[in-house]
Amino acid sequence: MKHIQTVNKPSLQASLKKGGCGECQASCQSACKTSCTVGNQVCETMK
Amino acid sequence: MLDINSGAVHVVDKMIYDMMDTFDGTNDEDVVAALRGTYPEADLREALGELHELMDQKELFAPDIDVPPTFRQSGIVKSLCLMIAQDCNLRCKYCFGDGGSYGQERAVMSPETGRKAVDFLIGKSGPRKHLEMDFFGGEPLMNMKTVKAVTEYVHQREKETGKTIKLTMTTNGMLLNDENIKWLNDNNFAVVLSLDGRKAVHDAVRPTAGGQGSYDRVVKNFHKFVDSRQGGSSDYRGSYIFLRGTYTHKNLDFTKDVLAMRDEGFDTLSMEPVVLKDNPELAITEEDLPRVREEYDRLTKAYMDAHKAGKGFFFFHFNMDLSNGPCVAKRLSGCGAGHEYMAVAENGDLYPCHQFVGREKYRLGSLDEGVTDTHWPQYFRESHVLNKPKCRDCWCRFFCSGGCHANADLFHGEIRDVYEVGCEIQRKRLECALYVQAMLALEKQAKENN
Ligand code: SF4
Ligand code: SF4
Ligand code: SF4
Repeated sequence: MKHIQTVNKPSLQASLKKGGCGECQASCQSACKTSCTVGNQVCETMK
Repeated sequence: MLDINSGAVHVVDKMIYDMMDTFDGTNDEDVVAALRGTYPEADLREALGELHELMDQKELFAPDIDVPPTFRQSGIVKSLCLMIAQDCNLRCKYCFGDGGSYGQERAVMSPETGRKAVDFLIGKSGPRKHLEMDFFGGEPLMNMKTVKAVTEYVHQREKETGKTIKLTMTTNGMLLNDENIKWLNDNNFAVVLSLDGRKAVHDAVRPTAGGQGSYDRVVKNFHKFVDSRQGGSSDYRGSYIFLRGTYTHKNLDFTKDVLAMRDEGFDTLSMEPVVLKDNPELAITEEDLPRVREEYDRLTKAYMDAHKAGKGFFFFHFNMDLSNGPCVAKRLSGCGAGHEYMAVAENGDLYPCHQFVGREKYRLGSLDEGVTDTHWPQYFRESHVLNKPKCRDCWCRFFCSGGCHANADLFHGEIRDVYEVGCEIQRKRLECALYVQAMLALEKQAKENN
């Protein structure tokens, strides 16, 4: 494409059906911990 | 350009950017009519073709996400936070735990309570294999006796159950010495170390109980610790060492603090806004927001400059895997407080998370009685972005996952509300992170094409 460059292969829609295994790390946004926001995590099973 | 419901990130030219003011997926002619004066019609039509291509691939205007079946009705507890010592050897000015005491008597957790917590976690975890236990406080190193006893018991129970319990600790570093550094390494701990950047900044907000600065002592200890891991790991899933800082109203030029830590030789960093109510000296308020936004732009630039110069460092919030991010169920669970994650107070009482300890309304039960509260766990479970009115329409809902319940409760007394100043900062930070990731991805693509 000339006007658009897509930088990722998004997985959000696909993960509606798969996923939810709950094996990934808990994430807390508060400053006293790592402040590990969900958006900064990766999935443990769909790699 | 971020497509919220697919998670696709597109880098677009100015023309597409302008077209998106009008384009809704069905009104090509309106777009052409609106911009014919600015761009050649042929270009507009070509670009519209590309936009429709993205729509066909479901990477633009992807369908709204609803609660998927993969999001279980009720949570399974897989992570516990132990208030090992509700006591501390520092008196940080912004501490939410009142110098570690959480408004209660200063006290430490007994080994017996700690072991019960391990059994509680395993008993609640159902089929989950990967569990977590965080040693928190106050200052956990003030109660190594319990930390050691619990860790030993964890290892024993791991063998008996086949589960893995990842151990983490957050410490201020005052009591780190050769002996406990070795012990933490031998036991594979992931550790979060608190440092606020420049010495003057750190000492002003993190004094000892006796009122002295703590910088020199903790930095010396942190160096020892980081060196002992030989390179270490910046992967938060491994046994990382993170240095994290808090910025306040007094150091809104916190890029300098991030860089000060980097110059001190630490390269795995995080820096976050303080959350305080009614503290005119340190609290970050709405008036600070323009300054904070500007500072994130400055940090982004410093981050990219360092990267280009081959001196890149790891900054937690800019790190993001746009292709392999968490599933929708996880994005709805968010922090999991109250349903997948709970905190155990020094006396064995259970709360939705470490920040709720001492907020009596939210007490969930105790290790002896189990979870006796029947309302909160489900309420927390269902308090996700699709049920929080202010999050439903927020563009970053699937990255932020609805913010911190404890903050919402602090400011509004209701966890389905949001803490607005935090939201503004979150959105700005995510915007910077998406920019950083898009730039890095383009750089990678360019390299591959060469
Ligand atoms: S590991 Fe992946 S699929 Fe499992 S809950 Fe986490 S993000 Fe979802
Ligand atoms: S930034 Fe605020 S409004 Fe947006 S999703 Fe997060 S908590 Fe909700
Ligand atoms: S409610 Fe806030 S402090 Fe508690 S676990 Fe969630 S993000 Fe962290």
